Amino acid sequence: MAALLQDNEELQLTAYCDGELDPAAAGEFERRLAADELLKARYTRLMSLRQAVRALPQVDLPSDLQAKIQARLKAETERSTAERPSNVGNVTVLRRRSWSFQALAASAVFGAVISGSVLKTIDRFGQEDTIASEVVAGHIRGLLAPQPFDIASSDRHTVKPWFTSRLPESPQVPDLAAQGFTLLGGRVDVINNRPVATIVYKHAAHTVSLTTLRPGQTVPEQTIAGYNVRSWSDGNFTYVAVGDLPSADLAVFEREFAAAAPAPEIKQ
Amino acid sequence: MPYMSEAYRLAQWLSGNASDAEDIVQEAAIRAFRGIKGFGAVNARAWSLTIVRNTALSWLTKNRPRKVTYINDLNPAEQQEIEYEGLHGTKVETPEDVVLFKADATAIQKALEQLPTQFREVIVLREINQMNYRDIAEITNVPIGTVMSRLSRGRQLLIALLGDQK
Repeated sequence: MAALLQDNEELQLTAYCDGELDPAAAGEFERRLAADELLKARYTRLMSLRQAVRALPQVDLPSDLQAKIQARLKAETERSTAERPSNVGNVTVLRRRSWSFQALAASAVFGAVISGSVLKTIDRFGQEDTIASEVVAGHIRGLLAPQPFDIASSDRHTVKPWFTSRLPESPQVPDLAAQGFTLLGGRVDVINNRPVATIVYKHAAHTVSLTTLRPGQTVPEQTIAGYNVRSWSDGNFTYVAVGDLPSADLAVFEREFAAAAPAPEIKQ
Repeated sequence: MPYMSEAYRLAQWLSGNASDAEDIVQEAAIRAFRGIKGFGAVNARAWSLTIVRNTALSWLTKNRPRKVTYINDLNPAEQQEIEYEGLHGTKVETPEDVVLFKADATAIQKALEQLPTQFREVIVLREINQMNYRDIAEITNVPIGTVMSRLSRGRQLLIALLGDQK
């Protein structure tokens, strides 16, 4: 048992050194680090090992290697062209057809140019990632602040007008206390350079931030820095819920919220 | 050529030898060229390094079999010990016992080369290529938890190896 505990501590130490603990766990670990001399000494040793490894002299890329690779790729292409008459297998035909694309893309990944479509895909994924990260960052900032909201109220009739007076579009603010999600208040987050409404709920010991974005965005379900992210849309908003509660509970939250948010008022 | 230097560096650390690293990177470039259609990943850097890593392992297994040591080569008890118990478990340390490492490049390089391949590759990917756990897990095709425990054990082994040389 003691060995098991120590093992777990060693793993935590490892994850802490590598910056892979979520903020809550990292804070907790830092408190233990400050109190435990031996743990601190082991931390310092790991960091000195890291510095020593990172200080190792690194080899440089031989200048002729790229030319050698180009030559071999050219030879490959020529060989496959030469094989054409003797080879009629389906697979070869398929492979040959996309050869020039492959040549382009391979050289892209290994350095020269990244083709436009790949870039666009990466960019799109990057953007979704950014939105999710920004929403999570807003949630974390909220948790670090004295309170996770700018307007504290369990009264939906206080929170909704507060949003309305600050933002061009404001969401419905249902109180879901009866369903286990108590309304705490609201705050304004800045996502993708736009101020947006975030409603804050409490579920047992967990804080849930519900950020409302312009409709029609997709944010994949994921975990960032230990926080679960779940997103859904209706005609008016794309909602992104963030919290450290299990994703099954977030799914319940989605259902309750969607059921409770009445058809939106037409903006006057 | 943004990923080429990194690819070469990884190959160099996995093979421990400049000319082997050249062969591995050439081979990897050709594999990438053939396999580009399967490129569905978002992270081109991780994808490139995955190919280099897999190429390096198969190339080394074929041409330098003695350089590739898997923990699977050990019997289950030893494997258990390396994966889960490590070296520190049996020792009681005090803060005074904990030595710091000077950047003695030769000693550290030698210790790194002695590590079983699984441990060496995660340490190189983490420290030299500075990848995060998620990318290392993707490249080495193991769960993130395993990456973490291998890093932890690998570092303990390095520390033990460096301690022995003193």
